[in-house]
Amino acid sequence: MAMTRRRRAMLEKDVTAPEPPVGAAASSEDEEEDEAPEEVTFERARAAAETERRRAGETARRDKELLKEKRRRREELFKEQKKRKLLPENVLEELTSGPQINNNNLSDTTKQGENQDESENKNEGCNRGQDHEGGKQVVRLKGSYMAVRLKDHDLTSQHQKMAKDFVQSHLYGPGTNRTTANQFFSFANKKSPVKKAAVQFVNKSWGTEKKQKAKQFKKRWMSKKMVSSV
Amino acid sequence: MGEFQVHRVRFFAYVPAGIRCVAHSPRSARLALARTDGALEVYNFAANYFQEKGIPGHETRSTEALCWTAGDRLFGAGLGGDISEYDLEKLRVKYSLDGFGGPIWSMAADPSGTQLAVGCEDGSVKLFQVLPDKIQFERSLDRQKGRVMSLSWHPSGTRIAVGSIDLLRVFDVKSGHAIQRILVDRRLQGLYSRECVVWSVAFLSNGTIVSSDSVGKVQFWDSEKGTLLETHPVSSSAVLCLAVSEEEDSIVVGTSEGAVYQFQLLPVKWGSAESKWVRTKPFQHHTHDVRAVAHSATALISGGLDAQLVIRPLMEKVHGKGYDAALRKFTFPHRRLVSCAKKAGLLLFQFPQHLELWRLGATNSAGKDGDILPVSRAPEHLLQLKSKGPEHICCSCISLCGSWIAYSTASRLHLHRVHLENGSVSVKRVSKVPKLLCSAHQLLCSADSTSLFVASDQGAVHVLKLLEPGGCGHLQTLRPNSGSTEAVYLLAASADGDWLAAAGGDWEINVYSLRHFKPHCTVPAYNCAVTALAIHPVTNNLVITHSDQQVFEFSIPDREYTTWSRKVQQHGLHKGWLERDMPITHIAFNPKQPTHILLHDTHMFCILDKSLPLPDDATPLMNQTSLKQLSEKARRGHAHAFKICKKYQVSVLM
Repeated sequence: MAMTRRRRAMLEKDVTAPEPPVGAAASSEDEEEDEAPEEVTFERARAAAETERRRAGETARRDKELLKEKRRRREELFKEQKKRKLLPENVLEELTSGPQINNNNLSDTTKQGENQDESENKNEGCNRGQDHEGGKQVVRLKGSYMAVRLKDHDLTSQHQKMAKDFVQSHLYGPGTNRTTANQFFSFANKKSPVKKAAVQFVNKSWGTEKKQKAKQFKKRWMSKKMVSSV
Repeated sequence: MGEFQVHRVRFFAYVPAGIRCVAHSPRSARLALARTDGALEVYNFAANYFQEKGIPGHETRSTEALCWTAGDRLFGAGLGGDISEYDLEKLRVKYSLDGFGGPIWSMAADPSGTQLAVGCEDGSVKLFQVLPDKIQFERSLDRQKGRVMSLSWHPSGTRIAVGSIDLLRVFDVKSGHAIQRILVDRRLQGLYSRECVVWSVAFLSNGTIVSSDSVGKVQFWDSEKGTLLETHPVSSSAVLCLAVSEEEDSIVVGTSEGAVYQFQLLPVKWGSAESKWVRTKPFQHHTHDVRAVAHSATALISGGLDAQLVIRPLMEKVHGKGYDAALRKFTFPHRRLVSCAKKAGLLLFQFPQHLELWRLGATNSAGKDGDILPVSRAPEHLLQLKSKGPEHICCSCISLCGSWIAYSTASRLHLHRVHLENGSVSVKRVSKVPKLLCSAHQLLCSADSTSLFVASDQGAVHVLKLLEPGGCGHLQTLRPNSGSTEAVYLLAASADGDWLAAAGGDWEINVYSLRHFKPHCTVPAYNCAVTALAIHPVTNNLVITHSDQQVFEFSIPDREYTTWSRKVQQHGLHKGWLERDMPITHIAFNPKQPTHILLHDTHMFCILDKSLPLPDDATPLMNQTSLKQLSEKARRGHAHAFKICKKYQVSVLM
């Protein structure tokens, strides 16, 4: 902006007589004699400055409005989304009218999707606080449905899974000295009065690497033999 | 030309769940058994080991421990962390209480029956007080490290022995402190040793603790000094369970190799006072792990993951050659899992989580007796109905015309209308099934498929009307005059739609008139469990079989036993018949021969011909193969009322 002003000032040089400003003259005079300092009439400068200011203000306002509009639209969108994610109203009423409940169930369902405005967030914050102290809370609904907090179930099922894994590893894991099916059946066959062919349960996928290696080795060995014999 | 065609149905792939734990109650002579799918069964030893009650399983419930206390109350606890009491009258879980200690591994009741001790995953032993209608948390013993895998009360009720990982502890109940800590040695295996799980402990009254562990040893410890008394290496893999007889002179242990061993306290020398525990008898009845054992006064009871319950009598304790003196094995439930739509030729199979509908195969040719006919149309799998939710199906039925399928879980009754039109199957759920307050224990459709009978709690039977094109409404509730509290578990309806017979858990059989919807009469009480009921289509005689193998015939119109039934009682049934080990699970009638009654259990199929004389004890009961070799005339002289076929391996329903 400073550049444009200076250029304009240079254009206006011919018309107006130079009026060196007191402070600037002392420094610029000795360096550039022919380039006179910018000379702008006070009125023009003021007008220019005013238009400039007005324009800047306008653009700022326009920006602000645009932003506002955008924000409003987003908010509307959020509201709509939230409405879509919430349970139907009669269910909500049912939930809130039930005994000994807070918004746990609601917040759980609404939590998933969207950023809510501040008030919602605050609500959630305090709900989280309550979550820790509250135990299992079950709300009875009409019919055979039940609203339950999933978090409690996760914990118990996790414990249950760990316990089951423990039993599994101790019953069937390594070091349990279990016989294989082949061994079991060969013992049974030995003991039984009727002798049958041995039972073999062999999985083709066992030892694939070793088999591959053996194959390779055989090939190589053969080729070596062939070469040496020739 | 054979008398009738036999369909050999080999497509019912029912797999019973493995047995996780058992609890024997010597007072009531009952055995409670929990399966790995969470189902519970109660066997009555007094009624020839009949499976008296059953509570269907649940996805999330896995019972790890069962115990009887305070009379006949049954408690169960599992890895879900809940302790529940079972309602054996209404056949459901009465209530559950969170133990707040994570998954529960073990539970035991104190000798006086007022306290329950529960061993939890987090290493705590919690005491619960048994109150008349509930249990209440009392206190927790000192929490230690390591999960509590097993526990046992001292018979005096002052101490508890606890088996954990790598060690045993003894707690003083009064103070709640651990007073003894015994290390159990691990198995050395290469460079590192694997931790040793004490799977089961028992506290004897002389202060000895018996432990069985994953190393494969049964060890005896002195609880006062904490020293090892005896070691018995039993197995190269784990010893999973252990039970002590009431006299404390015999111990039974079960291993993960499927073997069961008995230990006995025997004197070292003849006449000496000193006695020692000796491993005496090995039994190998199971193919897989034995997770549960119990010791009754006369028998060793073991239940394995191969779903078999084995009752092995101890010959020195059994007097004479009675019913108790034989080995018993139970694999399949004593309940009806298959229902047949006779008119449409359909079979409905009940699985824990789904139902399957099959069309029977057909043949064009006819053959002689004993011929195998070629199948012209293979049996066809029409439909699979999956039940939603975690609850297992407890009963199901299909109407005779094959157009209605009903099944029930613990909480809901489901009804479906099936349309079968030249090959295509369509199912429509009946949406508005009337809400019954209690669960259904047995379902039955009437012969003309217009009503559905729902057996329920307190001896009540609900009658639902089935409406075309797919609806139903509640018609009536039949209640017995006696005010029974037990649930009904068997139903039989007559072919003409006039009578309905219902047998409840107290073995009372009520006959209702469906014309007037009121009780008609009660069959005279007999002190043994009813295993099957059926009403003859022509004579309206009610045929009843009991778990002690007695067969009765009761005339409903005359309200008395028939003359044939009296004759049978006077004559007495054949000894071979009375000593069979399986209860009769189903009764049917031959439509061409009104004197024939068809009976079957798991191992045999029998045609009872009322017109023929009853056999004596001297004649062999199973004489069909020998009869075939005789001439026509001689055959008539030797034939008797029982014609038995044992050709098939396992039959679940005919």
